[in-house]
Amino acid sequence: MGDMMQAFILLLAGFLVVFTVLVLLIVIVTLYSKIIRLTQDAGKKRKELTHEEAVETSEPKRELRSLTRADIEEEDDEIPGEIIAVIAAAVDAVYGEKPHKIRSVKRERPARSAWSRAGAMQNTRPF
Amino acid sequence: MEILTQLWQIFCHLFEESGFGKLSWENYVMVGISFILMYLAIKKQFEPLLLLPIAFGMCLVNLFPGIMGLPSTEMLTEAEMVARHLDPSTYTTTVYNGVTYYNHVEYGGLFYYLYQGVKLGIYPPLIFLGIGCMTDFGPLIANPKSFILGAAAQIGIFLTFIIATALGIFTPNQAASIAIIGGADGPTAIFVTTKLAPELLGPIAVAAYSYMALVPIIQPPIMRLLTTKKERSIVMGQLRPVSKLERILFPIIVVVLVALLLPDAAPLVGMLMLGNLFKESGVVDRINKTAQNELMNIITIFLGVTVGATATGKVFLTIQTAGIIALGLFAFCLATACGVLFGKLMCFFTHGKVNPLIGSAGVSAVPMAARISQKVGQEENPGNFLLMHAMGPNVAGVIGSAVAAGVLLSVIKPG
Repeated sequence: MGDMMQAFILLLAGFLVVFTVLVLLIVIVTLYSKIIRLTQDAGKKRKELTHEEAVETSEPKRELRSLTRADIEEEDDEIPGEIIAVIAAAVDAVYGEKPHKIRSVKRERPARSAWSRAGAMQNTRPF
Repeated sequence: MEILTQLWQIFCHLFEESGFGKLSWENYVMVGISFILMYLAIKKQFEPLLLLPIAFGMCLVNLFPGIMGLPSTEMLTEAEMVARHLDPSTYTTTVYNGVTYYNHVEYGGLFYYLYQGVKLGIYPPLIFLGIGCMTDFGPLIANPKSFILGAAAQIGIFLTFIIATALGIFTPNQAASIAIIGGADGPTAIFVTTKLAPELLGPIAVAAYSYMALVPIIQPPIMRLLTTKKERSIVMGQLRPVSKLERILFPIIVVVLVALLLPDAAPLVGMLMLGNLFKESGVVDRINKTAQNELMNIITIFLGVTVGATATGKVFLTIQTAGIIALGLFAFCLATACGVLFGKLMCFFTHGKVNPLIGSAGVSAVPMAARISQKVGQEENPGNFLLMHAMGPNVAGVIGSAVAAGVLLSVIKPG
């Protein structure tokens, strides 16, 4: 009975200590990662600002418009009308006379590019 | 006629001195078991780096037990010295009841001296040093929540401890040493066992390494049983890149925290993190290469053969060993199941962003357990790459099992 009592106490202590230590590590790692990233981002922005200022002073009249990621995605997301028509026809063929409505057509983005996928496949093949 | 008698006596003496005359049936059974382990290591390639030296050490000690023989001092009288043609002037003497005895020292066997590294807890932390040099904590830093999965898999250790104690055939020290098999971490299991129950070192080490080798057979059915097809198909987003500064700070922070909270885990975690600092700092390339290659290989040989040499017939072929093998398997399965179940919990709370299969990698067994997560995940979706995601819980499991060992060592005192 004494041994079992000790075992139960150890069970509880073990759960608590292991989880506490690892949760503490989660908090610390998350915090310091954030701090480091913020510091590094701030450093990068400062560098970019000084670079832009230098560009402006050397070429004051030249208009620079950098494409943002959102712009690029917007352009990529445009699905040609023919494709939408084909999708609509396919949906219509499946549902037939049942009432149906196509709300939106979205391009499915693979998590990786085809090249990246091929590389990962190559590297993880022995596993 | 006299010549024949003397010849017969010589043959009798040779037979008595040979293994055939001295060994018991248990030794022969153990030699048979060692052959099976050698077959598994060479033919099936089950953890051959450790299983092969362990099996050979086991074979050798059962054929020639003297290789693990303790050093001893025999007290010889002057007459015995003369009879053995020994020079008394080179011996120290002891006077007992007015009689002078010469101290004749018999040195121990080769493995006795090599075994001191295991007995004194030197080899496991050195192995951890090498592991630290080879481990990339990047996936864990990129996704620190993986620590939870590393902790979850340790639940198996503590639950097995309860069951082993309840069985009544093991003392609490022995139960703790058996339960640590659930961590699937060979050096940690050896470290804890040498301190808490050195008499069980042979069976526990063999069970721990056998189950680590059997990860590809044991884990997948449990993983499939506890997850749905939909869960197994979850594709996880790519991990963020981790900066060099984060990688360098990680081992320092972990060692400060663990050494302060759990000093008993400091030798294992400390050496693991030292090795990792060697790797990540990038300024001690020579030391890093030596620690992960030459040093690690030398220690692996010494650890393997001497741990195998503790498995003598009389120690190994007992009902306790059967209990250890069964409980070890139970601990390992439980650890895998707890990891997967926590993975499911994380999947639920993150609204399906975490694939529960990475939870099973929370048992240490680096990198085999992570490979299994990758393999089972790809069975459902060939375009799914869980390997790096599973490496997070996998390396967290190494830290987690060292922390669990620290808890066991600090609560259950050796002795």
